[in-house]
Amino acid sequence: MTLSFAEIVGMDVAKQALLLLAVNPALGGVAIAAPVGSGKSTLARAFAALLPAGTPFVELPVGATEDSVLGGLDLEATLAAGRRVIARGLLARAHGGVLYADGLNLLDERAIAHLIGALSDGVVRVERDGLSEVHPARFLLVGTYDPVEGEVRRGLLDRIGLIVPLLPQTGERERAEVVRRNLAHPPNGDAEDETTMLRAMIADAREHLPTVHIAEEQMQALVQTALSLGVEGNRADVFAVQAALAKAALDGREAVDDDDLKLAVRLVLLPRATRVPAQEAPERRERETTPHAQGDQPGDPNAPAHAQATLEELLLEAAVVDLPAGLLDLPFAGKRRGPGGSRGAALSSRRGRFVRAVAGDPRGQRIALLPTLIAAAPWQKVRRAERNVGACLDVRREDIRVKRFRDKAGTLYIFVVDASGSMAINRMREAKGAVVRLLQDAYVHRDQVGLIAFRGQQAQVLLEPSQSVERAKRALDVLPTGGGTPLASALLAAWRMAQQARARGIAQVTLVLMTDGRGNVPLRAAPAAPPSRAEIQAELQQIATCIRAEGIQAVVIDTQVNYLSQGEAARLAAWLGGRYVYLPNAKAAQIAMTVAPR
Amino acid sequence: MPKPIVTSPAHQNGKLAPPAPMPNYPFTAIVGQEEMKLCLLLNVIDPRIGGVMIMGHRGTGKSTAVRALADVLPKISRIAGDPFNREVVEEGDPLAPPHRKHERIPVPVVDLPLGATEDRVCGTIDIEAALTQGVKRFEPGLLARANRGFLYIDEVNLLDDHLVDVLLDVAASGWNVVEREGISVRHPARFVLVGSGNPEEGELRPQLLDRFGLHARITTITDVAQRMEIVRRRRAFDADPLAFLAAWEPQQRALRRRIVAAQKRVAHVEMPDDVLMCAARLCMQLGVDGHRGELTLARAACALAAFEGRGRATLDDLRRVAVPALRHRLRRDPLETTDAGERVLQAMEKTLGAEARSRSS
Repeated sequence: MTLSFAEIVGMDVAKQALLLLAVNPALGGVAIAAPVGSGKSTLARAFAALLPAGTPFVELPVGATEDSVLGGLDLEATLAAGRRVIARGLLARAHGGVLYADGLNLLDERAIAHLIGALSDGVVRVERDGLSEVHPARFLLVGTYDPVEGEVRRGLLDRIGLIVPLLPQTGERERAEVVRRNLAHPPNGDAEDETTMLRAMIADAREHLPTVHIAEEQMQALVQTALSLGVEGNRADVFAVQAALAKAALDGREAVDDDDLKLAVRLVLLPRATRVPAQEAPERRERETTPHAQGDQPGDPNAPAHAQATLEELLLEAAVVDLPAGLLDLPFAGKRRGPGGSRGAALSSRRGRFVRAVAGDPRGQRIALLPTLIAAAPWQKVRRAERNVGACLDVRREDIRVKRFRDKAGTLYIFVVDASGSMAINRMREAKGAVVRLLQDAYVHRDQVGLIAFRGQQAQVLLEPSQSVERAKRALDVLPTGGGTPLASALLAAWRMAQQARARGIAQVTLVLMTDGRGNVPLRAAPAAPPSRAEIQAELQQIATCIRAEGIQAVVIDTQVNYLSQGEAARLAAWLGGRYVYLPNAKAAQIAMTVAPR
Repeated sequence: MPKPIVTSPAHQNGKLAPPAPMPNYPFTAIVGQEEMKLCLLLNVIDPRIGGVMIMGHRGTGKSTAVRALADVLPKISRIAGDPFNREVVEEGDPLAPPHRKHERIPVPVVDLPLGATEDRVCGTIDIEAALTQGVKRFEPGLLARANRGFLYIDEVNLLDDHLVDVLLDVAASGWNVVEREGISVRHPARFVLVGSGNPEEGELRPQLLDRFGLHARITTITDVAQRMEIVRRRRAFDADPLAFLAAWEPQQRALRRRIVAAQKRVAHVEMPDDVLMCAARLCMQLGVDGHRGELTLARAACALAAFEGRGRATLDDLRRVAVPALRHRLRRDPLETTDAGERVLQAMEKTLGAEARSRSS
């Protein structure tokens, strides 16, 4: 059962993005954030149906192996034919058509890398299995992902021109309409007419696209907006211009207008924003934008400078209006709070999946039988001639392939640092040093580090698990200190981070807690009476026991000066079943050494 | 007849034709990113500089620049059809063509794609010959193709560790050795290693960083005028690549000429003692281990002088190459917030100051 593009209710932004992509393949693709069951795949199929008959539609499954993505030797056919026969991979098969990836954020790291390669070069380079091939692979990428399951890798998102942030919850009436349309299927004549009409529109717009004009000032406004939104790299500028051109072409106009620019900002720049532009006083903005809204053409030679500033402000304003609801879903925004993905989420969530077979020593590893036989197969003729043995299979050591599971995950170190009280600045600096040091030594082990700070009313995730020193440093650069000690909230945040890491296959988690252990802010919203110490302690014990039950290692670094200590930190360590280390003036190197496995 | 949605002459009737080579964006049309461009050019002029690692954020044109490099390189001479691009071969070499005719080819710039298997990188037994004729014949890999040229690895941080080790070994020795199915092949594999990576994708092993002669950092351009120029040129190129290339051909040709002249000159560039001394002092001050730092500094300074048509390296040359030559060789201090490049510059100023004082006294 398939609905046509026109029949799909809601998802207007996504539909618009797809139309732009159909008009202008230079946009590369559309990434759509949508929850399960929102009809993403129906939309993708309906989109493909809009394209000329015979356009390839290839699905890139989440668990696709490297072989199937890239292509390689078709052994069976090769043996049968006596010459090499090449099987094209999914990327090459999508050439000239649509590649649909449901679960962009769940794709294997290497599959993502190949996808990125194809998007930027338009070809797939195969250098494997004794093959050296270049396959054309220009396609329109339609990718969807459920943000709850984590982010899409940024490098990939960067090459996808249009990004549709989380679709708003559909209203009651629309929901009813969705059901009605689904029930009413097969389609009525109207829908078919609409499909035909859309096809014609796309074809027209494609023809028309090369002649659409964009003014210098409009281009400048887009670039300036990209800068104001802190968009990284220069690729987005090009995408934004292409999107505006496509929109104008789709509407059958000769030149880009303000609405086109706004749409470009919304679908290209805004989703890539890393910061919210400073809001200006509303009166001022209103005053400046009014003359422009009245039809002052940006290209007007009489007031070019003014018009420019106005146009850019208009775009920014439109962006800011769009922002509040979606701010937390900005995939490019640095810090993210609460549950959600992280860099590591790009790895497959299927833990321990057999990814590929590599040549190797079978001792201590699992032999991949089939790949081993495949590796041995081509040489049988040669070997038989050499050894003059019978018809038995001659498998040699160099044929042996061992199984590689998902790249061996290292340990996740979660630093939980007390940023309250007077010693906080010192603690933070040393914690930061320890974090960076661990990361620098971590390369071989593929360790990751996350960081949670707590002060005031609750804990804050400063750094989602990451391997990048650069990101860690950036996250740690600014942190306010002082205030209450919401220790319980911090432990809970750490527990959550550990849970998410486990879901991604990082089994080994070590918690490094730097505190004096004196929590004084409870987890639950403050009741009328301030909570007693005992209540807070009970809460801490409860969470600590949970963490211990999960098998999470813990190290408590007591930063309290000796004569003030009442053993809170030691007690906490006992609850966590972890190690207790007394380091009132802990130095980065000491911490790193204490924490690292011995 | 409906038009295909993405047009490509290579894809017809579902049959697989080799794709028409997509023209590269011209090197001389790349806006900004001077450090990266200079590092690449210096390596062209003197391959002994030891390659370059380019670190930078997404969408800053790293791959574009490396691929563009191929088009400004002068041609080299090799024995026609030699799989290792050799100019001279020994008599009776079974892997060499039977004749001794020469041909001129562009300097190879070989892409090492992610997911490349070791057999394709190093070379292996020709599978087709083994299957059909039952004979063992060596089939050269990417390392052979890259001999006397450039080997480019995009996203070095995502490359398999074992493959990185193989590459580094070969890059250091200049020879590739393959043992397979009882065949043993040893062939020259001298190439300039160019890597690129994104610092957000994770750290590189220090041992790996150290092997690259130069380390260029690139950042997002924040100048509006420059960014507009990027968009304009990109659009023009995408709309009509051939016309764009034609428009830039004069600049490309000029750069090519300059490179050829510099290559001829570089061996004769004089390195005055005070410049060399300054290089050594700089490395000492920064606590750079070993002598690779000084060597790279000196070579890069000479290459720069040659590129600018001078016969003598100066302190100013040193100053201009110091950051990319040394920034990846500093001891890492986790608490250091100053950028490594910044630290090199500071040390440079100190050293040059001392130099000036000693000269005036």
